[in-house]
Amino acid sequence: MADAGRPVRSVLTCGEVRTCLLPSFQSLDGRAAAQLLRLRAGEHVRLSERPNLYARSPQVLTGVDCRLPTSNGAKVRGVGTVASRAALTEGRVLQTTAYFSAPADGPDVRRPWGQYLVRPGVVEPFGKLPEQATADGVLRGARRGELDLGMIAEGLLVQLVRHPLLDQQAPFKCRRTHLRWAARRAPEGEGPSLDRFTLAEDGLRTVELRVPESVPAAAVAGLCEDLALHDWLLTTVLHILQNSRLGAADGPAAVLALRPAVDHLLHLWMPRAHVDRTLGHLWDELERAPGFTRQWQTLVQRIRDQLAVQAISRTTCGSSSTST
Amino acid sequence: MPESVFRESAVEPHTQSVPLAHLSLELGHLYMEDFETGPERLREHLSEVRVWVDAARASAARRAGLKRPRISTCFLIDDYFTRFSTPAELVPLVLEEAAKAGLVIDYLARESGCVVADRIELAESVMHRLVESPPPGSNGSRPPVSQTGWLANGQRTVPSRSALAEIITWQPPQETAARNHSVFMDVELWSETDKGRLWSCPFLAAVWQLARLGLLRHLGEPVLVPQPWTGGDFPRDWDELPPLLALNDSAAPFSAYRTCTLMPNRFLAVEDAVRLILDQVDVDAGALEQVAVRSAHEGVAVPGAVAQRATYVFYEEPANYLLSEGT
Repeated sequence: MADAGRPVRSVLTCGEVRTCLLPSFQSLDGRAAAQLLRLRAGEHVRLSERPNLYARSPQVLTGVDCRLPTSNGAKVRGVGTVASRAALTEGRVLQTTAYFSAPADGPDVRRPWGQYLVRPGVVEPFGKLPEQATADGVLRGARRGELDLGMIAEGLLVQLVRHPLLDQQAPFKCRRTHLRWAARRAPEGEGPSLDRFTLAEDGLRTVELRVPESVPAAAVAGLCEDLALHDWLLTTVLHILQNSRLGAADGPAAVLALRPAVDHLLHLWMPRAHVDRTLGHLWDELERAPGFTRQWQTLVQRIRDQLAVQAISRTTCGSSSTST
Repeated sequence: MPESVFRESAVEPHTQSVPLAHLSLELGHLYMEDFETGPERLREHLSEVRVWVDAARASAARRAGLKRPRISTCFLIDDYFTRFSTPAELVPLVLEEAAKAGLVIDYLARESGCVVADRIELAESVMHRLVESPPPGSNGSRPPVSQTGWLANGQRTVPSRSALAEIITWQPPQETAARNHSVFMDVELWSETDKGRLWSCPFLAAVWQLARLGLLRHLGEPVLVPQPWTGGDFPRDWDELPPLLALNDSAAPFSAYRTCTLMPNRFLAVEDAVRLILDQVDVDAGALEQVAVRSAHEGVAVPGAVAQRATYVFYEEPANYLLSEGT
């Protein structure tokens, strides 16, 4: 019994974030965002208005009892709960995350379910946890029958995008991105670090981190949601720019193609706006190389230049046509 | 690292704490059929209960290492499944019979208060908190909390057709935590009726247990808060009575670290179902933490799993009940 109340010393926290455009013609205001994200009747949706409108659902749990994904084929059974939650930024970008923490080892028998429930978001291994192999397994993605964070995050996303509040009229087409992350415990006395951010194909990104034991799993999830949001913004705006065929397309067509970015996305860039203060500085790594904000500013500048050029050429065309 | 100067109060979730006794002792649960057989039946019941109350008090004192642990008593009247009598008639009768048996009822609750209390949908909010115990092989692909209104302690029988089509082979159900052999249980949480959803007795009893354990909140605020009756005689309509009535100014708090429920043994199956439900409710983390910290501080640490905090005494049905049933 005493065992059940003991805090879990987790050595690994893993998750997957799915990011997409909200399928709604208008962005949602705070009230509607809270309504959308009310996953539980009696619990608060966290609503923040500074420095941008950001809403986050209460956490919900999914019970699991299955093999953990491992990169080396080790068969490790895990039992516990996966936490999932959703966030909406500026009423426009929807994200869902599924994540769990795991201790270094666990008992070889399944305990009464109530004992797992009082440690929400913890999955206990049967026996010893192969830490690196599990972290790699999660980043690689679950195989058949293995604990599938992506499926849990996707399940919540599907549930939300079908909400009757949404008219299914997305203002433009864009792809979803998946960001998988794994945070191993940092060595004693060391601070958090961002070891690797990998841009893979098909909208998949992977992040490897190290965090001290004192950092809550939810804070790591928050950082990764922030990374995923900004990576999605870069990916989406880049895609819009490419599709606009800058220079090649004629003026009005290019303006039309760029317009969604201006209307819906350019004001969303705000790294670490809702990231736990102990982890905010991990952004610095990405700002140094490859320079997320540098790339964003370049993209924004190109869009503005293009629109300015179009505006000038329209006025000059207009004035020259009146002078003749 | 210094804290940020800027705060947004709406962002920070906050769980208000509730006062807690050592033990919440339930003296009875009155249904219409109990009432119909007359006050003798209630008297019989309370005389029997009295014996076990003394035992429960002694046990709580031993556990807390105190001569006088904080114990509050409560009594539940069903006004949800069947409406009978009136508070004006029934409440004084119950209090009088309790006094005759040497018992004091500190709090009196209406069963429908476990459905809606002070316009808050308690049963619905607990339903949203169900996290089903996953049978082995569950990797997150099962749909969350059954939309069927049933909750089990394992894997149900799935009829599967054999290769030769017509023959349906039977697969036994399986209890997830079975020791060698299964004791499979499947509990109906609600049913749909013409008048809307009808919550089942075990589900409401689970809500009741959570309230007594101080683990229910709505948007961080306590719910089912005891209220005194200040309006003179008790009302003629159950809806006018507060869902949880405080009857004794000097009583220990309603909610407690543990509960003990005294009831006739015919309720054994219902209460087993209650434990099955409690074992699959993800309760408010803030409330859980408050109880853990305070109970540990008092040297009476509670079991981690919520279902383990509820204890019972099942006693033999008073004889006159059986007689009246036979007539």
